[in-house]
Amino acid sequence: MELLDFARGTALAIAFAVFVAGTLWRLAGVLLLPRIRDFSPAREGAPPAMLGAVRAVLRRMWPRKEFVQATMFATINSYVFHIGLALVVFGLAPHILFIRNLTGLAWPALPSNLVFGIGVITLAALVGALARRLVHPVLRLLSHTGDYLSWLMTVLPVITGLLATSHLGARYETLLAVHILSVAALLVWFPFGKLMHAVLFAFSRGATGMRFSHRGVNV
Amino acid sequence: MPEAMLLGDLLRQMGISRRAFLKYASYMASLMALPPSVAGVMADGLAKARRQAVIWLSLQECTGCTESLTRSFSPSLEDLIFDFISLDYHHTLQAASGEAAEAARRQSMRENRGKYLVVVDGSVPTADGGVYSVIAGRTNMDMLAETVEHAAAVIAVGTCASFGGLPQADPNPTGAVAITKLVSGKPVINIPGCPPMPQAMAGTITHFLSFGTLPELDALQRPRAFFGETIHDRCYRRSFYERGMFAKSFDDEGARQGWCLYELGCKGPVTYNACASLKWNGGVSFPIQSGHGCIGCSEPRFWDRGGLYRPLSAGTTDVGKVIGIAAAAGAALGAGAAALARQRRASTSAKEA
Amino acid sequence: MSAVSTARPAHPAYDQQGEQSDETRVDAAMRSFVREFGVTAALHMESCVRCGMCAEACHFYVATGEAKHTPIHKLEPFRRAYLREAGPFAPLVRGLGIVKKLRIDELQKWQELIYDSCTMCGRCTMVCPMGIDIAELVKEARHGMFKAGLVPDRLALMDRAAQKWGSPATPGEDLPDILAEAAKQYGVDIPCDLPQADILVTAAPAELGEHTKALASAAKILKRLGVKWTMHQGGFDASNIGFNNGDLALQERLTRAIIDTALKIGAKTVLLPECGHAYGAARWEAAKWYGKALPVRIVHMTEFLAELIESKRIQVKNVGETVTFHDPCQIVRRGGLQAAPRTVLAALGMDLIEMKDHGVTGYCCGGGGGVVSNVRASPLRHKVFEIKRQQIEATAAKHFVTSCGQCQITFEQGAKFAHWERKTESLLELVADNLVD
Repeated sequence: MELLDFARGTALAIAFAVFVAGTLWRLAGVLLLPRIRDFSPAREGAPPAMLGAVRAVLRRMWPRKEFVQATMFATINSYVFHIGLALVVFGLAPHILFIRNLTGLAWPALPSNLVFGIGVITLAALVGALARRLVHPVLRLLSHTGDYLSWLMTVLPVITGLLATSHLGARYETLLAVHILSVAALLVWFPFGKLMHAVLFAFSRGATGMRFSHRGVNV
Repeated sequence: MPEAMLLGDLLRQMGISRRAFLKYASYMASLMALPPSVAGVMADGLAKARRQAVIWLSLQECTGCTESLTRSFSPSLEDLIFDFISLDYHHTLQAASGEAAEAARRQSMRENRGKYLVVVDGSVPTADGGVYSVIAGRTNMDMLAETVEHAAAVIAVGTCASFGGLPQADPNPTGAVAITKLVSGKPVINIPGCPPMPQAMAGTITHFLSFGTLPELDALQRPRAFFGETIHDRCYRRSFYERGMFAKSFDDEGARQGWCLYELGCKGPVTYNACASLKWNGGVSFPIQSGHGCIGCSEPRFWDRGGLYRPLSAGTTDVGKVIGIAAAAGAALGAGAAALARQRRASTSAKEA
Repeated sequence: MSAVSTARPAHPAYDQQGEQSDETRVDAAMRSFVREFGVTAALHMESCVRCGMCAEACHFYVATGEAKHTPIHKLEPFRRAYLREAGPFAPLVRGLGIVKKLRIDELQKWQELIYDSCTMCGRCTMVCPMGIDIAELVKEARHGMFKAGLVPDRLALMDRAAQKWGSPATPGEDLPDILAEAAKQYGVDIPCDLPQADILVTAAPAELGEHTKALASAAKILKRLGVKWTMHQGGFDASNIGFNNGDLALQERLTRAIIDTALKIGAKTVLLPECGHAYGAARWEAAKWYGKALPVRIVHMTEFLAELIESKRIQVKNVGETVTFHDPCQIVRRGGLQAAPRTVLAALGMDLIEMKDHGVTGYCCGGGGGVVSNVRASPLRHKVFEIKRQQIEATAAKHFVTSCGQCQITFEQGAKFAHWERKTESLLELVADNLVD
C-alpha cells in the first residue's frame, strides 16, 4: 500500500511539477525566439495569417490524397493508437475521476469493457508502430534513443492499465500503483522528447500555414 | 478461577455433543480454508486443549474491537470459546477493578509464565513519554512491555493495535504506534479492522488453541484465512464495476440500482478483509451492501489516504499550487533560455564583419 | 537527442573552397546556423516525430529507395547545431554532452546530402504531418555550408562568376550586345539601359546564352501592350545563384541590383523571367534586405501572362491539341501560382491532361536548387528523372509545356540521356508564337 500512497501522492505531485515546468520551459524557450518578419506583399486574396495558420492545423490532420497511398500505414496506425489512447484516457470512468479531481471537469464514461477492448487495440497499434520503426530502413535511420524511450513511456501506461484492470500479475494495489507511476514517468519524460509534438504540432503546422497562405498556397 | 479443565470435558459438562463439536470444528476449518481432513485434528486438538490464559490489554482504543467480538446473534461457540479461555484481564468484561484487576493480571502472568496469550487493542501513544494513555498510573508502553515479556504470543486486534489506526492519523499528536513497533522477539498476529470481524478474532484464537501455532500470515502479519482476499474480489457488485456502471452520488439512480460505489470512494479493491464474504452481524450485510463504499478500515493509514470519498484513481495531493509554481518556473526558464539563444545569435552577427 | 546515425563507410567525394582550417570551417558553419534559428525554424527543428513520411514524398528517395535521402535526415547536422546552440535546453545539452559537437568530417560528408540530393522543391513540406518546412530549412542550412567553404565545386564556380559579373552567364557589359543580336535575329526591339521605364524586365541565364528567343518572346508581348519597358545592365539576371548556393551576401547583392535599378529608372514593376528560384528570391525574399515593404511590384512571367489574358490586354489563338504541364516547384508549390499557367493554357484552347502528380504536389524536375548545375549529381538526377518521364508519357499528351528555364534544361538533358524524343516547350514562347494580331 505504501507504493500506492506514494504513487497517488508524492509521485504525481512531482510528475505534474516537472511536466508543467518542462513543457512551459520548452515552449517559451522556442516561442520567445526572434520572429523574422516577412515584408513581402501577400498574394492577392490571401486570408489573414491566423486563418492560414488554423487551416493548416486542420488540413494536416490527414495527408493530401496524393500521399495517402504512400503513407497509409503511418497514417492509419497512428490514428488508431492516438484515438485509442484518447478514448481510453478520457472515456474510462476512473480516469475521468482522476481528471475531475484535478480540474473539476467530468463527463459521462464509456462502458469499461469497451474501453478495455479499445485498450487492447491501442496496444496492438503501438506494438505495430515499434515493429515498423525497428524494421523500416528510413525509420531505423531517423530514430534515436529518445524515440524508443517515448514509445516505452507511452506503452507502459497502456500495458499496466490493462493489467491493473484485469487484476493480472500482482496484487491490485501494486498494479494500480505501477500504473499510476507509469503515468508519472510519462509526464516527467513528456517535455524532453518527441511526445512534445502534442503541444508543438499546432505551432509548427501554423507557422507553415502562415508562410504559405501568404503566398497563396493551400498547405 | 476454576480448575484447569480440558475443553472437551467442559463441553461435555455443558451438554454439547461430540457431533456438534465436530461440526463447529469443520465450520472453523472451512472458514479458515483448511482442508476438510483437518476438522478431525482440530476437534481432537480442541478437546485436549487446556484452558488458555489470555490477558487482554486495552490501550489507546475505543472498545469497538471488544464490541465486535461480543456480538452474538445465534447460539454460537464464540461465547463458548470465551467461556473456555481464561480471560484473566479485560477492562470491559472483568468483574474486578482498580488494584484488584492489576493484581489479577500479574498473578496470571506469574502462574502462566511463557504460556499466556496477550491480546491487545488500541494503539500505543509514545509522545511526551507516553502520557496520553495511562492505566493504573503506568503508561501503555510500560504496561505492554511488562506484559508481553513472558507471553507465548501477541494478538494485535483492530487497526489501531495492528497499524496505529485513527490516533495515528495526521498529525498524530499522541505519537501513536502499532504494537509491532514496540514488540520484538515474540510472535505477533495482526487482526486489523475498525472493528475487526468477529470471525477473524475467534477463528485465529481457535487455531492457536487447536494447533498451538499461529495460522498462515501475510506480509502484514494478518491471517491469510481472513485477510487473503480483497473486498473487491468477493464483492457482489463486481459485475457493475466491470461494466463501468457506477453510482455518482448517494441516492442517485445508480445508487438505488445497487451499482458499484467506486466513484464514491470505495476502497474495496485495495482492502484485505472478509467483509464481502462473511458479512457483518451474523451475515446480514456489509457497508457496500448498505450503499456506502468500503473505507478500507483494515489497512494501514486508511485515515490519511486523501479522504473516504476520494476515488482510488484520483491523486491525493492538491496539485493546484504545485502547478502554479511549476508554470511560473517553467515560463521563466524558457524566457531565460530564449534570451540566451538570442544573445548567442547576436554575438555571431557581431563576430561577422 | 543523440549523435547523428552512422552512415555506411565509404565517404562520398566532397568539394572544398578556400584555405581555411577545419576548425575555422566548423566554426563558421556553426555561427551561420545559429543565426537561422528564429521562432519558425526552431519550431520546426523541435517538431519532427520521425514518422518517415517525408521520404515517401521525396523524388530522390522514391527513385532510389535509399533511406539516406529522407528529407529530414538531410538536416541532421543542422538539428544538432540547433539543440546545442539555440534550443530551450541548449545549456544542458552542451553541458551534459547530450548532443555531440559537429565535426568537420560530418559537414564534409553532409555536402552530398544537402546539395546533390535535395532540390529544395518542398514536396516533403507538403506531406509532413507536423508541417515542417524542410525545404526552407535546407536552404537555411546551406548558408552555413557556404560559409564553411563546403559547396560543390560547380556551384562555387558559378557563384564566383556571379560575384564578378552579376550573373553566372555573362558580364553585364555584354548585355547590350546580346540584346542587339537577339533583336536582330528575331526582328523585335529589345530596349537596353533606358534611363526611365515603367517595367524593368529581367532574364534567366539560359535566356542570355543559347535561348535568347525567350527575350524576343517577352519583347513581342510587351510591344503589343505598348508599355515603356527596358532591360538594364545594372540588374538583368534574376536567377540569383546566391539563393541556391547559400551565399547570402551574393543573394543580397543580386537582389539589390535589380530592385535598386528598378527604383533608379522609376519602374513600378519588375518582371521576372520564366525561372523558379528567381521568384523565390525576388517575390518573397527581396523585401527582407530592405527591412520594409518595397515600392515596386515583383511579378513572374507566368502570372504576368495570365493577368494579360484575363484582362484581355492580349489575345491568343486557339492552338487546340492536348498538353501536359510541369509545375515548377518554386513558382507553384512554393510560390502560389498554380492557377496562372492553367489560365494561359485554357486561353490557348489546349486540352490539359494533368500528370498523376501535378499542381502543388507535382514532382520536381529533379534539377532545381542547383542540382542540374552540379555535374557530380548527374547519375542521381538521371535516376530521379525517370519518375517525371513516366508521368509525362502516361498522359500521352501532344505538347509538354513548362514555365521555368532550369526545368527546361533539366528536361532537355534528361531526355538526351534517356534517349527520349519528347520536346519541352516554354509557356512564354507558346503565347508569343500564338499572339492574335
